[in-house]
Amino acid sequence: MAENNKIELYPEVVEAPRFTCALGGAYASALATYGTVPILHSGAGCGMANAHGMTFASGLNTGGAQGTTSTPCSCLIEEHVIFGGEGKLRKLIKSTIELMKGDLFAVISGCVPSLIGDDVDSVIKEFSDQVPIIHINGAGFVGSSYHGYELFLEAVIDQLLTDLPKEKKLVNIFGIVPNQHVFWKGDLEVIKSLLESIGVQVNTIFTDFSGFAALKKIPAAELNLVFSSWVGIKSAQKLKERFNTPYEVISSVPFGPKETSNFLQLVAEKLKIPKRVISKVVEAEEKRAYRFAEYMSELFVVSVPHAFYAVVADSSTAISMIKYGTNELGWNPQVVILTDNPPEEYRAAIVKQLTENLESAYSPKVIFEIDSHRIRLILRENTFQVLLSSSLEKYIAGGELDAIHLGVSFPIYDRAILDRSYAGYRGGLAFIEDLTATYAGPM
Amino acid sequence: MIDLKENTSPIREQRANGINAYFGKASELVKDSRDGNLVHRERAFQQNSGCILNFYLTVRVATIRDAVMIMHAPVGCSSPALLYREVYRRIPAGLGRPEKFDFHWLTTNFNEKDVVFGAVDKLKFAIQEAENRYHPKAIIVLTSCTSGIIGEDIEGVVNDIQPEINATIVPVHCEGVRSRIVQTGYDAFWHAILKYLVKKPQKKQKDLVNVASMLSYTWQDRMEITRLLGKLGLRANFIPEFASVEQFEMLSEAAVTAPLCPTYTEYLSKGLEQEYGVPYFLNPSPVGIKNTSEWLRKIAYYTGKESLVEKVIAAEENEWAPKMEAIRNEFQNIKPNGEPFTVLGSLGQGRLLTQTPYFHELGLSMPVTICQDFDDLVVDDVEKLVEEVGDFEIVVNTFQAAEVSHTARKHDPDMVLSCPFMGSAYKREKGQTRIHALRGDGRKWSTQAGYTGAVACGSFLLQSTKNKAFQKTMLEKTQDPYHDWWFEQPNTDYYLGKKE
Repeated sequence: MAENNKIELYPEVVEAPRFTCALGGAYASALATYGTVPILHSGAGCGMANAHGMTFASGLNTGGAQGTTSTPCSCLIEEHVIFGGEGKLRKLIKSTIELMKGDLFAVISGCVPSLIGDDVDSVIKEFSDQVPIIHINGAGFVGSSYHGYELFLEAVIDQLLTDLPKEKKLVNIFGIVPNQHVFWKGDLEVIKSLLESIGVQVNTIFTDFSGFAALKKIPAAELNLVFSSWVGIKSAQKLKERFNTPYEVISSVPFGPKETSNFLQLVAEKLKIPKRVISKVVEAEEKRAYRFAEYMSELFVVSVPHAFYAVVADSSTAISMIKYGTNELGWNPQVVILTDNPPEEYRAAIVKQLTENLESAYSPKVIFEIDSHRIRLILRENTFQVLLSSSLEKYIAGGELDAIHLGVSFPIYDRAILDRSYAGYRGGLAFIEDLTATYAGPM
Repeated sequence: MIDLKENTSPIREQRANGINAYFGKASELVKDSRDGNLVHRERAFQQNSGCILNFYLTVRVATIRDAVMIMHAPVGCSSPALLYREVYRRIPAGLGRPEKFDFHWLTTNFNEKDVVFGAVDKLKFAIQEAENRYHPKAIIVLTSCTSGIIGEDIEGVVNDIQPEINATIVPVHCEGVRSRIVQTGYDAFWHAILKYLVKKPQKKQKDLVNVASMLSYTWQDRMEITRLLGKLGLRANFIPEFASVEQFEMLSEAAVTAPLCPTYTEYLSKGLEQEYGVPYFLNPSPVGIKNTSEWLRKIAYYTGKESLVEKVIAAEENEWAPKMEAIRNEFQNIKPNGEPFTVLGSLGQGRLLTQTPYFHELGLSMPVTICQDFDDLVVDDVEKLVEEVGDFEIVVNTFQAAEVSHTARKHDPDMVLSCPFMGSAYKREKGQTRIHALRGDGRKWSTQAGYTGAVACGSFLLQSTKNKAFQKTMLEKTQDPYHDWWFEQPNTDYYLGKKE
């Protein structure tokens, strides 16, 4: 008990939380907006730390042509702490505009300029008539990478967007945080093609080849879709206030046929798409998905039938995994540990998503925990045959927990994730392929 | 003179005139250094390059086996350590990797209140938490830009709380803003190790050789070094990566401290000699046939194995030198007119001194090289290097990707050897491959150290000349992040400011 009391004193002192800082989230978002050049106004190690601990940690990715060591950085040191870093930043922005190809320049301030009180906005103003340029105040101590994603969107909304006429059946996608959501690239492409199949135009922003144009187009959408129970809702609210765009919270990316069909029907309802259009797509896609699912039935029934399973993931990925595993594969959810630290006010809705309308006789225990050591202790107290989590559990799963493990959530260091996706009608099949690759052999 | 009464080491800029920007001939660099003409020059265009904390200190300290790392910082600073549960696990236990080990680290995870009111109580709590949870032998506290700027009294915390804590608390001053030279981070780490963790020798271990191993040396490199020292009846004490706390404690008992990288090890080596009389040498490192033999000879000198070592060297060279000769011959025949095969190495100071003679041994020519930083500690060695292999162009930069790409295009060598995380310099018509593998790689293919490493690495380099499809395809099919003018003008130092 004593230990518990202490924990409450400083709940943020933890082992290996599964996110990085606000600068990291804003940096990931800028890199994901194709054609954007991030400019880090920070110490020289912030970009390197996030190259290793964010982009590389999300399926062994580099940050693309403007990422990793290619990202301009003001590399602040002690003399800047004393005399200010504005001069250094000014030179850096000027040279970056000269040297690097970009449609948009995103200056991301880290801890140092925030602590020393650099007036970054004034510096940026000097360049605003030359190139599109925005400033994200992303000091590492203001929040996690999830918060950094929202800070990026906030900067875009405040500094870049102007009123546009609404385009019929155009939607924006929010809530899928680059790198934190390890399947972000593949999932966004799948969502886009799913919606296009029912005649909806999709602005995914991050996978679009003209990222800057995609950002500017945000106000034209008829509807904003938020694929998270909490991340991106604030931005959607802001867009509603400013551009009168309604938003719908989808909670998670739909994995497998059932959730995908539900998702398409929901969007159709919101956008008044005729039922027959949806039915045609659903029927054809489901037919194909389940035909191919038949090919795995022997393997599945022998290797992982009605398994007890545990999920350790951000709330969005966890909801996807619980719905697919429980309602399609016939697994029994044992425990869900949520690692993205959602604000208190969203937690009840997340628990509801994870525990209601499930086919299993069991409802999972839902625990919010960001401490990787405590997560390990919780897992030890539970029995399950399948563990869907980050790769942090890879070597624990076999030895300590006697479970088959597949990495589905941040961080993923045990495989490359380039355009992998478990979303949509084909996603379930890909998931089975990946899961069984960790275990399968001749019978 | 290392002053262990101080909380930390001086920065490399102060103690060795460290710089991270220079463009010219190696001979000129030596001269400028001797004449006191090396001064810091600021770049108007700079790319993110790592700080003294996150130029891999985090991912090194996180692998000390019975210690706990505490990052006194915002959450992002420790994110590279997310690899902690997987690193080294891919090495089969059959290769001598212990079956059971666990790493742990905590972050104090600063919030906005902490930067206003301070977070020393939080740090105390984290230290207690580390002790209660994991019962480690050492708790290593890494500081950050933020902890430094808000003026956290780290030593105050340590003095306060050490009496109630069984583990030895080791505060490391690696605030990112302290220094431009990433190697300051190594010095700061070794300073803390010397000050807090190394114990007075209980007994001298005459067969123990301290070897400070690098992130870029693989498990097979350790095995090769262990094999060679074993032939001399000696044992390697590999620190800091994957070491136990006891291995640090007994550094003072060793017969000698031997280098894998001279400037990485220098502060520790000098400290161990000064405090405990452990002799050391800084050159050469065991890379290439000739320098491996020389390395063994030096170790033998300090351990009384002089006659045995000549037998070992003769047998090893007899076995491996012909294989090196075959590789050398094949390299000589790559270019039709007998011209030497040219390489561009992206190196640290240490690899500048170890890899360059190795390239020379392979018959490769190195007209230009990129070196992460430069300081007085290696001036004599670089001078000797120039005498040995001839003069060459040197670009001193710490991970400046645009300059690396520019250098690669301008000099257009047959092969570019790049560090991991080197931006887009790998995209080219001619050869490219990695300069080194990393510590979690257990494959024989990736060996570089010792005799087997000389041959394995030579074969690897030959192999890399046989197919250029990857780099050519990526060059053709992807966009370069820089405007064309950058490559059309000749000056890699275009954005280098005047001497300050």
